[in-house]
Amino acid sequence: MARFLMRRLVLFILALIGISLLIFLALRILPGDVAAIMAGLDAPPERVDRLRRQMGLDRSYPRQYLDWIGDFLQGDLGRSILTNRSIASQVGVRAQITFPLILLGLAVALLLGIPLGCAAALARSPRMQSFSHMVAIVGGSVPALWSGLLLIMLFAKGSGLIGLLPSQGFPALGWAQPGQALAALILPALSTGIIVGAGIMRYTRSLLGDMLSSGYVDMGMACGMTRTQAALRIGLRLASPQLVSVIGLTMAEMITGVMVSENLFALPGLGSMLITDVGNRDLPAVQSELLLLAAFFLFLGLLVDVIHRLIDPRFRGAARQEVVAL
Amino acid sequence: MNWGHEDRPHLGLRATFPGQLGFFGRMRVVLSSMWRKASGRYSLIVLAIWILVSLVSRFWTPVPIWVTDGYRIWQAPSRAHLLGTDGTGADILSWLMAGSATNLVISLLAVLLSGVLGLLLVMAMVSRRSGVSQTVVVLVDALISLPTVLLALILAVPLGPSIAVVVVACGFGYGLNLARIVRPQALLAAESDYVRSARHSGVGSFRIFCTHLVPNVIPVLCVQLSMSAGTSVLAEAGLTYLGVGVPSGLPSWGHSLTTSVKFINVFPLTVLWPGLVVTMVVVALNLFGDALRDAIDPVTNPRLRAAVAAAGRSTLQSVRQETSACLEASGHASEGDNHVAEY
Amino acid sequence: MNADRHGTHAHDSVTAADTDVAQEPGPSTDPELNARIRPMKSGGNTLPWKLLSLLLALALAISLWTGHRGVAGQAEGGSVADTVTVGLKLAPTNLDIRNQSGTALDQLLIGNVYQGLVSRDSRNRVRPGLAKSWNISEDGLVYTFHLHEGIRFSNGHALRAQDVVDSIRGLMAGHYQGSEMLEGFQGVEATDPLTVRLTLSRPYQDLLWQLSGRAGLVFDRRAHYDMKTQAVGSGPYMLASFRPNDSVTLKADPHYWGSDKPKTPTIVIRYLNDDNAAVNALRSGDVQVLAPVTENLASPFRKSPDFQVKAGDDTDKYVLAMNGKGGATSDPRVRQAIRHAIDHRQLIASRGGSDRALGGPIPSLDPGYQDLTRLYPHDPEQARRLLAQAGYGPEHRLKLRLTYANTYGSELGDQLRSQLRQVGIDLDVRVVEFSVWLQDVHANKDYDLSLVDHGESHDFHQWANPGYYYNYDNRQVQELYRQAMATTSADDSDRLLAQAAWIVSKDAAADWLFNYRVTTAWRKGLEGFPVDLNQSLMPLSDVIYRRG
Repeated sequence: MARFLMRRLVLFILALIGISLLIFLALRILPGDVAAIMAGLDAPPERVDRLRRQMGLDRSYPRQYLDWIGDFLQGDLGRSILTNRSIASQVGVRAQITFPLILLGLAVALLLGIPLGCAAALARSPRMQSFSHMVAIVGGSVPALWSGLLLIMLFAKGSGLIGLLPSQGFPALGWAQPGQALAALILPALSTGIIVGAGIMRYTRSLLGDMLSSGYVDMGMACGMTRTQAALRIGLRLASPQLVSVIGLTMAEMITGVMVSENLFALPGLGSMLITDVGNRDLPAVQSELLLLAAFFLFLGLLVDVIHRLIDPRFRGAARQEVVAL
Repeated sequence: MNWGHEDRPHLGLRATFPGQLGFFGRMRVVLSSMWRKASGRYSLIVLAIWILVSLVSRFWTPVPIWVTDGYRIWQAPSRAHLLGTDGTGADILSWLMAGSATNLVISLLAVLLSGVLGLLLVMAMVSRRSGVSQTVVVLVDALISLPTVLLALILAVPLGPSIAVVVVACGFGYGLNLARIVRPQALLAAESDYVRSARHSGVGSFRIFCTHLVPNVIPVLCVQLSMSAGTSVLAEAGLTYLGVGVPSGLPSWGHSLTTSVKFINVFPLTVLWPGLVVTMVVVALNLFGDALRDAIDPVTNPRLRAAVAAAGRSTLQSVRQETSACLEASGHASEGDNHVAEY
Repeated sequence: MNADRHGTHAHDSVTAADTDVAQEPGPSTDPELNARIRPMKSGGNTLPWKLLSLLLALALAISLWTGHRGVAGQAEGGSVADTVTVGLKLAPTNLDIRNQSGTALDQLLIGNVYQGLVSRDSRNRVRPGLAKSWNISEDGLVYTFHLHEGIRFSNGHALRAQDVVDSIRGLMAGHYQGSEMLEGFQGVEATDPLTVRLTLSRPYQDLLWQLSGRAGLVFDRRAHYDMKTQAVGSGPYMLASFRPNDSVTLKADPHYWGSDKPKTPTIVIRYLNDDNAAVNALRSGDVQVLAPVTENLASPFRKSPDFQVKAGDDTDKYVLAMNGKGGATSDPRVRQAIRHAIDHRQLIASRGGSDRALGGPIPSLDPGYQDLTRLYPHDPEQARRLLAQAGYGPEHRLKLRLTYANTYGSELGDQLRSQLRQVGIDLDVRVVEFSVWLQDVHANKDYDLSLVDHGESHDFHQWANPGYYYNYDNRQVQELYRQAMATTSADDSDRLLAQAAWIVSKDAAADWLFNYRVTTAWRKGLEGFPVDLNQSLMPLSDVIYRRG
């Protein structure tokens, strides 16, 4: 475990350095500079030059990179050139929308995916099985943008068929109005959660199906449990390490849907901030946000790996040879 | 080669290897097996339409896609415009048709890239040098949690919205995923006696990889690549909506979806079509992988097994005859010999 | 130790679980192998078609329903609201009105938080501001402004002539936004605490109007604050909070010095970049007024009794710039052909019909306006003839590249490509990020055609500047503009500008696609919200909302 952790940590850091270089270079290749945007169309060159000096854009590239990384490691993500606010605080504000949204979406996905997946695995009639298979496949094939639109047309307050929930924006006071804040996130969470839930349903179904055909469930039944009991109490527990891996990766992939949702539902979250900042060429903001997100997801991957190792009984004990396939 | 027997033309036409069903014969059985399943039939139909429409749209669409008409915007479906018109008065059906070509190209390139990248990684992962293999395994684990959209955003900053952004971002992410999923199967095959004996008889590792490992992982590969193709269609829609995908002016399903989103409140009908097309195609791609896997694997497809067996019987027969003929003609070496020996 | 990840097993097992248990006798004698065999399912028990058609039916039903429904208003109690929420589109990224360009800041801050020496009315005419009156010397070189008495900044400091002087001197020294527009500026001084004297080296007709914008803003010389995130001015409102790209809260200044006391204590401005989000926010009551609302989205509000919709005049000119030194576009016949090829009425119709055709560089709210739309009527035949004269034809088609920023959407590019193709011009439309446009087109002048919404008012100087990205260099126009600015008579100035604009249009230096008019929609009961020019000038003190 210790060696595994060491190796994993070293690669985590190497990957982060590689990505930080990639981000830094990608942002320097592009044409156009933020000083010119800020100064406007009819700006005299001296105004642009002065702004550029103020922003430190006249330093050499290696210098800019080292300054950036140094500050980043000290927790200083820099200041946005355009808004002059500390990026860390801005990220903090935006994350209050994005992370609850990811978690809610994940909750939706799990609430839909795991019970339906279990039901599908336990279903005996081939008709039920193929039906649940199709539900999972079709559910996983709907573009998040489209499901979001359908949800707006169905449930949005003001314009939807059944006007239930707000579909646009976040309350101005944020989580100080918990009810409204939560309500504002429900439709976006549904639209990101459904597609992910379909994926989780497929995994649950196949994992549980495997367990059903393994000896463990038979053993449980021999001990007097019903098939359903055995499947849920033994099978699901045995399948949980894999499910953790799947859920971790799912969370990483959910960010695409979250970004689309934030834009569609006009939520001022991290995703919409990133898109706006990219458009504004706010270099310090974009590079710090990208690196922060990359670091977050790389760390998530690391965490999932470690948790997986911790809860998977096959990694405990003396026998540490590789488990190849079931 | 100088074959002299009446049942040999059959062999020569069909077979890549004697003792096996030929590629086209195999494909015919595989396709007909897929066709017998509803899901397989659905996916074959939809994919065939997709490819056909993509080709046709290169030469013909109901209305040329550059035509706009400011006086006829957001029109409901009519005879002139079967799916109505968009915000510039352009024909939605024509744009969807033209978009299918773009999406086909994106999916193919993304699948190709992810397949090549994935197999290269797998090759490194099952490498005999444990330093290489373990490093790659952990590297893939470290990088796999990077979301596609993040990579696309990084790429889009210097490149601007372009097809390349979608292809590279998808290909990279799916390639890593593929490598992880294929690895256990490849390891299993790498430990097999065939490989061991091949290695002992001095066959190079690249050749072993191509001849022994790749065929063994083909079923998993089918499912994964097909799913990747589906996901790339979804990714294209999402990335284009976020402004980092297909550039505007180039037809694609994501583009159609994005333009219609703007006016969903007033003209909700137009948002239906692109979403429906995307859903149908992605469903087809997901089903296609499963169906192909079931049909291409002789272990799971009795019809293929039967066909192979039948072909094998006739081949064996012909080989037997050939051998005796060779013996009679005293010493004609045949190309097929070493293949027969191998299988 | 091997670092295996068990996500992988999940995928393997999909293959095992997705299939049914063996039903037919296996072909192998090995029972274990037989058990692994998954029979091919016969057709009929999977339902992709059914599910998809169900989905289609559902989606169709929803869309038909929502499409044919009116907009329902929400009944609320009858009283005067103490908070009005205004929905706008373009958000300022920061509040530094001296450095940050863009009309979003003018719209938000000028007249509400900051005030200028003089102000504008909704017809773009100069009106008194901090100065209640002014005199201009005979030769047009000395302007004397008389300030109101008792003006206070919202922090309690009194506003004196010295604040005005420091603000204008700071502007010129710092090259801030607007400084380049004070042509011939020589000096400014306070002759007493309520009198400011501004001197010019040569007469400048546009001085007063320019002082009604950013150039004339007066800042508190004794206050120190971060101008990117805060604003302290003498206006009727104080900035209570600013969330970049999201919202701004303005609170009425209880000690406001002027007579136009704010009628609503709190005004929240929300920036809704997404058009649908904006429309939904208005419909659901999250905002009471929306400006702009996309004309094509406004039709449900027009039909509803609970809302009012009106398009206001504005100075936005959608300019299709044609590079005067471009490969093909340097030929006037090509430029003229392009102008004849464009069907402006159709462009306007596709945008909902509220915009106005504009044949030249000066819009109706600016001095020197005259209707020039008849100079180049839509005439594809004439366009083809001109192209043929310039040496282009079916076998040698003219290829041009149109470069514009993605903020304007892809529709205009698609339409222009379609219209120009009909006369034999192949348009390669390149929609880029604004910064790329700035670099390629604006700075490097590397383009054939370009599309920009030039929203600024009084900006004819662009055509008199040969270094501007238009690459338009006409001595006569430059001379006419110089005279128009140098004259002390407003009427003469108007006449000269009109003459210059006619030449620019006649030269086909660009095509003016249309004069964009901003559509504003608001809930019944809301009054006093400016309709004209509200994207650059949005005085809010008259806004009042009576629920009921």
